Amino acid sequence: MADEAMIAVRDAWLTYGRGASAVSVLRGASLDVPAGQSLAVTGPSGSGKSTLLMVLGGLERPDRGAVSVAGENLVALSEDALTAFRGRSMGIVFQSFHLIPTMTALENVAVPLELAHAPAPRERALAELAAVGLADRADHYPAELSGGEQQRVAIARALAPRPAVLLADEPTGNLDEATGAEIADLMFASCRERGQTLVLVTHDMALAAQCARIVRVSEGRIAEFAVGEAAA
Amino acid sequence: MPLALVLALREMRGGLRGFYVFLACIALGTGTIAAVNSLAFGLTDGIRAEGQAILGGDAAFSLIHRQASAEERAFLEARGAVSTVATLRAMARTLDGERQSLVELKGIDGAYPLYGAASLRSGEALQAVLAPAPEGEPVPAVVEPSFLETTGLAVGDDFALGRVEARVAGVIAREPDRLSGGIAFGPRVMVPIGALERAGLVGVGSLVRWRYRLAGRDGPLPDDALKALVREAGEAFPSAGWRIETRTEAAPGLERSIDRFAQFLTLVGLTSLAVGGVGVANAVRAYLARKRQTIATLRALGAPGRLVFATYFVQIVLLAAIGIAVGLVLGALAPPLAAAFLADLLPVSGLMRVFPGALALAALYGLLTAVAFAIWPLASAYAVRPSALFRDEGPAPKSPIRWRFVAATGGAIALLAALAVAAAYDRWLAAIYVGAAAAVFLTLRVVALLIVAGARALPRSGSTVVRLAIANIHRRGALTPTVTLSLGLSLTLLVTLSLVDGNLRRTLLSRLPAEAPSFFFLDIQDSERDAFAAALTALAPTAELRTQPMLRGRIVAINGTRSEDWPDTEASWVLRGDRGITYDQALPANSEVVTGAWWPPEGPAGNELSFASDLAGELGVGVGDVVRINVLGREVEATISNLRTVEWETLSINFVMIFSPNVFAGAPHAHLATLTFPGGAGEEQELALLREVSAEFPTVTAIRVKEALETVNGVVQDLVTAIRAAAALTLIASVLVLAGTLAASHRARIYDAVILKTLGARRRTLIGAYTLEYLILGGTAALFGVGAGVVAARFIAVELMELEFVFLPLAALSAVALAVAIAVALGLVGTWRALGEQPARVLRNL
Repeated sequence: MADEAMIAVRDAWLTYGRGASAVSVLRGASLDVPAGQSLAVTGPSGSGKSTLLMVLGGLERPDRGAVSVAGENLVALSEDALTAFRGRSMGIVFQSFHLIPTMTALENVAVPLELAHAPAPRERALAELAAVGLADRADHYPAELSGGEQQRVAIARALAPRPAVLLADEPTGNLDEATGAEIADLMFASCRERGQTLVLVTHDMALAAQCARIVRVSEGRIAEFAVGEAAA
Repeated sequence: MPLALVLALREMRGGLRGFYVFLACIALGTGTIAAVNSLAFGLTDGIRAEGQAILGGDAAFSLIHRQASAEERAFLEARGAVSTVATLRAMARTLDGERQSLVELKGIDGAYPLYGAASLRSGEALQAVLAPAPEGEPVPAVVEPSFLETTGLAVGDDFALGRVEARVAGVIAREPDRLSGGIAFGPRVMVPIGALERAGLVGVGSLVRWRYRLAGRDGPLPDDALKALVREAGEAFPSAGWRIETRTEAAPGLERSIDRFAQFLTLVGLTSLAVGGVGVANAVRAYLARKRQTIATLRALGAPGRLVFATYFVQIVLLAAIGIAVGLVLGALAPPLAAAFLADLLPVSGLMRVFPGALALAALYGLLTAVAFAIWPLASAYAVRPSALFRDEGPAPKSPIRWRFVAATGGAIALLAALAVAAAYDRWLAAIYVGAAAAVFLTLRVVALLIVAGARALPRSGSTVVRLAIANIHRRGALTPTVTLSLGLSLTLLVTLSLVDGNLRRTLLSRLPAEAPSFFFLDIQDSERDAFAAALTALAPTAELRTQPMLRGRIVAINGTRSEDWPDTEASWVLRGDRGITYDQALPANSEVVTGAWWPPEGPAGNELSFASDLAGELGVGVGDVVRINVLGREVEATISNLRTVEWETLSINFVMIFSPNVFAGAPHAHLATLTFPGGAGEEQELALLREVSAEFPTVTAIRVKEALETVNGVVQDLVTAIRAAAALTLIASVLVLAGTLAASHRARIYDAVILKTLGARRRTLIGAYTLEYLILGGTAALFGVGAGVVAARFIAVELMELEFVFLPLAALSAVALAVAIAVALGLVGTWRALGEQPARVLRNL
């Protein structure tokens, strides 16, 4: 495992179900992502893209193989230790935003900071919201925001604890083209500024091309696909 | 503020949607318990606060058969102001002899009442109206309104009372000490005390209770003085045989009854909480299912499982607090509302306030119920994984059993059970209830599992309706457990109460004609006994007349242990107050000696007595034990020589104790008689006989058994109505739970209905399937309810009330019909809308 790799996956296998209904999703997948790199994961539906992202986020444990993020062996961590590690070191952006509907934009962004017992969570959350251009919408509830605004709040929430790694699952999948482009710009810019490692799952090749590197998941394995614009 | 509380408060911004059934269930159960206990506390407070008025003094010394001696009177008068009151049952009749009424007669002196105020409807002063009349003038009497209704008399009319004429001089509006008497078998009639003698009602051995009430001359006697008085009275007159009561325990029997009744209603309230608990669990489960995404998000953002659990636990506690608050407000309103209805019956002065103790108890019950039923479904929050955010995983996966939640649920239930037992008046009864409730709960869970397993194992039916109905019963998320549990529980209670009530009434009324006497006659003087027997034989030649000497006596000690120190048992009432006693040479016809031997015909060598075997067993006395009894101010000792069976339910003359004739040789006494018509007697026959006897023997008190039983039945009926009202709340709770469950499954129902309609199912087919499903569920719950109800009712009737138990199919069948009707009606109301949905509109939104 390369010492300088922020993310390292070695020969990961994962099967859902048992017996006749068993489906092997990962079949010896391996991957190294150096710190600060942006990586796009592409592949057909059902190829295991999201599963790979979940394994990287510690949300799913491989049946065998090794996964290490920021030097931490995720396979060896307990459920609660994984949760704490995720809160500290990872930000996740979902296709469906997954904001908590009973909390305002500000409170949604503040939650991970509060969970990590960070000092001045509201002030820092407000700064993150300002960074995504939503300072004036801080007191709005998710239902009062547009799709693009909700995803910007979700990005602010993911970035707020200053994680080493940002995982994004089809972050523009539920947005129109123009809004999607805005969101992608925002995400790439933030990662660049903060030196964060970005792993992005997407069907959208134009979006993938903005990353430094593109891999393709097929039949549970990972293959290098292309070098993106950001590598230039 | 702790983070869990912060997150919980944010989550609750979503409002109370989905929690109305939860809130209603908790409010209903808590409210019932708060109301019942507040009422009981208030009434007990009232009795204590008005203790002096109810007792008629700071202390009361009561004697039966005899008046206080000059020395005893002097002792009392030296210690305060004394008022004498005499009470007895007597016959009043119209002057034309057409109508008569058994009355609760009370003779009062000029000092009555020492405490409280007696008033007449006319507003005149009682003492002025009851001023003793000159010789030859009718005796003035004030009466309760029901006396006027029974006799058809009006104020100013004359009537016969014993051997004198009396005149209705007023109608009683308030009698402050009325509660110190027992159950009233007739209306109150009050006369000057001297009139009793003139009326010939104070004969030898007459059942007159003389009460000497004593009050401090300069305000109420202090507690020390009261204690000293009781002690000195005991020392000065150790054999007086008087019963001494003080204002602190003015109506102990009534207090006991209120406590016992409150406990019974509390248990019914607890059942309604338990039924509501099912609703709590359902609401929590449905809420967490809706919150799965939020929980997954929190987990993804780094929230540990225990924080998520704490967040939702705090919400449930806060919601329970709202439900409890509503229940407490309702419970707190009950006493003042009840005061309006009970003002004529009970001391209600204590009801116009809030009872923190009762409310705290109810709140604790509510909170423990909410926690006990919420922890288990809350544990599923642990099972929600952040990966749910990446894909729709369908229903939450079954989480492994987490033993700490099992322990926490068990702990909350154990606390609930411990509280129910600890706070109960009769802990043994409460413990039985807790055990029975747990057994019913567990059995219902098993029944639900069996229904599901049975439905799954059934062969595929050829009928679409049957196939759909059966599939609905065993599919995941089916209504089966909820319907079985909530409806089964409330029906068990309903069937139990119906059967107990039915059996009680059956015992009281329906067995009468064949075995019971038509009349009891009291206070037949020795001198008139033969004439009385001859007259009755002439008036009713076919009837059987039995007479028995009748004295009143009080057990003072057993084997040297004073009655008040004897261990408390179910039969302790035998030791409290006076009992009717008799003597006889021969064993009564309907009795059988089970232990020891009856005395020989020539009489025993010493004083002997025969004790009723069932009560002896409960009291813990047996052959060879020595009973010391006070009769007519004289204490005698007798040895129990045998125990005999007594058939109490035949209502013939039965005594707990029968003495050998030598014990009371020469003691003055009156006689008691029963008259039994073979095969019973008609109303007119009885009334005609009553007229004749009252006219010929005006000082003999005739009690018509049917009327007396109607009075008792009336009291029982009132109690049963109150219990039924409380049980109805349980049924309401179960309807709420069912409605809540159906509402929660509404979306799935619409989905099913729309898909099936799209695939060509007709509305009739769907209605048929749903009806069949609810019929099966309601029917099973009903069958279980009847089975468990019969077992519970049989236990209560046979073991606790000592009645013969008979299965009453009508009561049980009505419960079954009710259950099925509720299940089908609620189910169809819920699905009707589902059937009306336009498939296209729903499909677009799926």
